[in-house]
Order: sequence, then C-alpha cells, then structure tokens
Amino acid sequence: MASVKLTDVKKIYDNKVTAVHDFNLEIKDKEFVVFVGPSGCGKSTTLRMIAGLEDISAGTLEIDGEVVNDLQPKDRDIAMVFQNYALYPHMTVYDNIAFSLRLKKVPEDEVYERVTNAAQILGITEYLTRKPRALSGGQRQRVAIGRAMVRNAKVFLMDEPLSNLDAKLRNQMRAEIILLRQKLDTTFIYVTHDQTEAMTLGDRIVIMKDGYIEQVGTPQEVFDTPVNLFVAGFIGSPQMNFLKAKLVQEGTGYSVEILGAKIPLNADQVSVLSRKNIRSQEIILGVRPEHTTVLFEKAEGAIECTIDVNEMMGSELHLHLSSANDDKIIVRLPTVDLTKEQRKSLAYGNRMYITFPAKVMHLFDPETERSLIDG
Amino acid sequence: MGLKASRAVTNTAIHVLLIVISIIWLIPFVCIVLQSFRVENSGQVGYVLPKIWGTDNYVNLFQTDFPRWYTNTFIAAIITAILQTVIVLCMSYTLSRFRFKMRQPLMKFMLILGMFPGMLSMIILYRVLKDLGLTQENATPGLILVYVASSGMGYYVSKGFFDTIPMSLDEAARIDGATRAQILYKIILPLSKPIVIYTVLTAFMGPWGDYVFARYIAFGASAGKNVAVGLYDWLSKDQISNNYTMFCAGGVLVALPVTILFMFLQKYYVEGVTGGAVKG
Repeated sequence: MASVKLTDVKKIYDNKVTAVHDFNLEIKDKEFVVFVGPSGCGKSTTLRMIAGLEDISAGTLEIDGEVVNDLQPKDRDIAMVFQNYALYPHMTVYDNIAFSLRLKKVPEDEVYERVTNAAQILGITEYLTRKPRALSGGQRQRVAIGRAMVRNAKVFLMDEPLSNLDAKLRNQMRAEIILLRQKLDTTFIYVTHDQTEAMTLGDRIVIMKDGYIEQVGTPQEVFDTPVNLFVAGFIGSPQMNFLKAKLVQEGTGYSVEILGAKIPLNADQVSVLSRKNIRSQEIILGVRPEHTTVLFEKAEGAIECTIDVNEMMGSELHLHLSSANDDKIIVRLPTVDLTKEQRKSLAYGNRMYITFPAKVMHLFDPETERSLIDG
Repeated sequence: MGLKASRAVTNTAIHVLLIVISIIWLIPFVCIVLQSFRVENSGQVGYVLPKIWGTDNYVNLFQTDFPRWYTNTFIAAIITAILQTVIVLCMSYTLSRFRFKMRQPLMKFMLILGMFPGMLSMIILYRVLKDLGLTQENATPGLILVYVASSGMGYYVSKGFFDTIPMSLDEAARIDGATRAQILYKIILPLSKPIVIYTVLTAFMGPWGDYVFARYIAFGASAGKNVAVGLYDWLSKDQISNNYTMFCAGGVLVALPVTILFMFLQKYYVEGVTGGAVKG
C-alpha cells in the first residue's frame, strides 16, 4: 500500500517523439486509478514508466514519498499484470506464482502457503500442477494476477489485463477484479482502452489523448461534466451526440437554438455562463443518447429527425437518426413500453421527434472544443 | 487409378528412391567400419569384406600417438563448445534484448566480417600464436583461442530464436525481481533448449573435425596434432601401407561420439536449425 505521485513526467523516445507530456497526478494510498484513452495516447507508456520498464525522460516519480526514477523495477516494490499474461511457459502454474518469492529466497514452506492461498482466492488450486499452455485465457489471466498477488507489493499495476479475453469472460473477470481489489486493499493503477472497464473499476479515471491528460475525475464526474469534446465523446456508450447549435444571450438569461427549437438554460448553467461572460455564439451541443426523449408526434420544441438505422439490443433500441442539419444522432429507447404500432413506425426513413431538457445539455466551444460550462 | 492407389504408388516410389540414396550415402561408412576390422593386411586392398576379422587395429591404435591426438581434439572441442556456447548465447541475448548505440552497425559489421574466409587470417594468427608460444606441442590451447575468439559473430541463429520469445516475459521477470543474468538462465535458456543444443553441437563439431588450422598450428609436432591431422598423416605415401586399417579404426572412433550425440539430440538439432525462422 502506497501513494504514487507523478510530477511533470515526460517520455521522449530516441527518435524525439514525445509519448507523454508533463504528466501530473497524485494517486492516494489504496486508490484504484484507471488510465483510459485510445491507442497511442501514452497510457501504457506511463504505466511502464511507473513500473520501471521505461526510463523517465523528465520529471519525478514518487512511490510512498520516495523518488524512484532511477530504481530498477525489482526495487520499486510493485507488481504488474500484463496484457498477454506473460506467464513463463516452461514452468507450472505453481512455479509461475512462486517465481518472485523464490528469487527473494522466501522459505519454501512460506512460498507454499502464499501460493496456495492466492490460488484459493483466484479459484485455480486445481491447475497448480499444469503448464500455462494447458489453461484457458481466463485461467491464464488468473495465474498472472496470482503471480502479482503473492508479492504483497505496494502498488498493483495492470496493463489491459482483460483485452485478450472474449466479451463474456471479460465481464466476469471485471467483477472478479473488483472483488480482488476489496480483498487486497492496495493501490491499483489500471490501464485500459475500454471506457466501460474504466467506469466500472476506477475510483478515479485519468482520460488521456496524444500523451496529455484530458481530464481526471471520478467516473460520475467525467460522465456528468466532461471538460471537452474528446472526453464527452470517449466516455459513455453509445457515445454522446454532437449537434450544431447556437447559444443565445437574452438579457440575463441564455438559451440554445437548434433547428427551430429554443431550449432555455437552467439557473446553474446561466450563472456559469454569466460568470465567464460568454456571449451569443455558435456552439456544439452535446447530448447523451440516454438523455434524449423520443416522441412519435410533433411537439413544441421537439427536433424532427429521420430514422437511418434501428438496432435491436434486447431491452432497448438504438435508433440512429439524421437531423435536418445532417447531424447524426443516436438515441436509446427502452422497448418495454413500446406499443406494436410504435415499434412498426420505427422503420428506415420514418420521421421521429426528439427532445431533451436543459440540464442534460453539454455546451462546447467549436474552436477550443472545451466545455463552456464544465471544467 | 483411385486417390488411395495413386498415393500408395507415389509413397512407394519416394521410399525406394530414399532407400537407394541412403545405401549410396552409407557405403563409405560401411567400408571404413569393415576395413577397421581387417587384420590380414594393414594396407589398401582391392576388396571390402575382411578375410580375417579382428580388433587388432583398435588395440594397435593405442600403441601410437592416437590417444594423444584424441585427447587434444577432445579437450579443444569440449572447452570450445563450453566457451563458445556461453559467448554466443550471451551475445545473442544482448543483441536481441538490449537497445544501445551502434547496435545495428555492430551487427552489420559482424555480418560483413563473417563473409571473409577465416583462412585469410591464418598466417597472422600463426605469427601471433607463435609469439605466445602456443604452436606445435602447445597447439591445443592456441587452437582453443582461435576457435573461441571469433565465436561471438555466430549469433544469428540464436538471436533469431530469442527474438521470437516475447519481451513481456523478460519484463515480467524483471518485475518479479530477476536480474538480467537470472532472466537469461531461468527464463530464456529453458525456453531455448533446441537452440542451446544446436549451439553446443556446432561449437563442438568445429574443432572436432578441423584440419586446416590444426595442421598449420601444430606444424608437424606430433604432440600438438589433433585426430584429423594425425590420422591424415597416416595416409602419406610412406605410411599408408602400414597404417591404412588403423586409420579406418581411428576414423570409426572419431565418428562414434558425434554419431551418438546426434542420434540423441537430433530432434532438438533440427528444431534449433529451423526454430529461429519459423517459431511464431
């Protein structure tokens, strides 16, 4: 258990490519932090710098208050789970898990106790004598976690540990990692490109893009108040809809005009915009698919759309719509309350109407791509 | 003709061809073995099957300098095999896993250097070894020095094999607390058994069968000769009539350990030769 502090950490490769720019983050003791972002955003590089597998080009990395920039991985007291499991193929599961303990010359009876204990927690006791090639993907990942667990390290690093598993197993393992975290009660740093994993696992999420931190916050914070277009689009599935709209200042109030509809903003939003002295301007309006109400009849303030695609997801429909501005909009429509006629009307080319209240709207500056209200 | 019949005909033809090739290939070996048991005449004769069978040639071998030559060769081959294997594997591991300045130019340089025939350096090597007192009677340590000196350049096959072992295994081991040396002998080498055996065998075979360098450096001193040089000298005009059958017996004894080694390690050897290229 330990805190981790990164101050102005940079990674510049020999070919002068900067993979991570001025990374600043303080991770508290026993916190579960998830680095999330698309491929090439620098999340794995940052994790590998924390692990000591990559040199830190600039800045300082502290674990438990001690600067560890120049320490070897083995001296940092960290454990790591790799994306491709990285199990030693010539060793049995038992030997794989015991490897680090034997290197530390831990007495064999203690090794036995710690390995069997970890195996019991992870449900792999019956596979201890097998070689990794005789295990399924999920079992191998459990062994990899077991190998990290037995070390009782200060910090637990996980580099996309579930991305090689199929969807069903991934969901199961995700739940197991949550349970494991409760049992181990240590500091976790977890890397993933899957926003669902990030949202479900992390106490805090660090969203990265092109080597920069875009936003740090709890899952609820980054979902509710994304600070820019990237975060708004990255977090949430299906992703947030972005529509061309206009912010209009009228006296002390503000409203958003979109395709003939005029939606007055609420007092909180008005207060922020006034404080920032924002005037009437073109904006990008962000609305999440789950915050949109679908109407089958035309109504005051509703936006008219045409159905492009109707995806049946079981409990809900994902409707892909086009507005008169040719903005593409996805809405989630629960199937439970739909009548037969309504279901029939949700066909390609038919007209639909959507509305959304002011409180779910996210307003972004088209030039800076930053939120006008959040952040 | 049906598919089954056509396959049977093809298989039969292939097997007949292979048997014929094997017989042709084995004839010289069989002849040498048979000649080594011939006791009625120690020179060359015009027939293959001995008229009188016996092990006299093998017994007589031990009255000559043969045991000395055999020991010289064995010592040179064993020491070279050990040192060369260690050097080649360390070199291959370094070039496969470490990224350092001039790594690529160094590899290219060694590739180009390896294209020059070793014989080019023979004269200067002889001068150097002579100055060091490592020629003639002391040829064996001199030869070991020559065999081992350039062994790092033979890194290609094992580096190719090491490259196929995922880097994340090294990283996992580093995090588990292993040093680079521990990673090499606890993780990489156990996963590279075929290539280790291939390296040992090729390192052993070089000195075991060497003639040109060994002859040059021994420079006529019987105590410094290896088996290839010593046995070949028995085929000279003035000796062949007395020593031919003994030469054959010596040949059998030279081939014996290598044959046994290959028979046991053949599976690994083939894997090692092809492993670097195809292991996914």
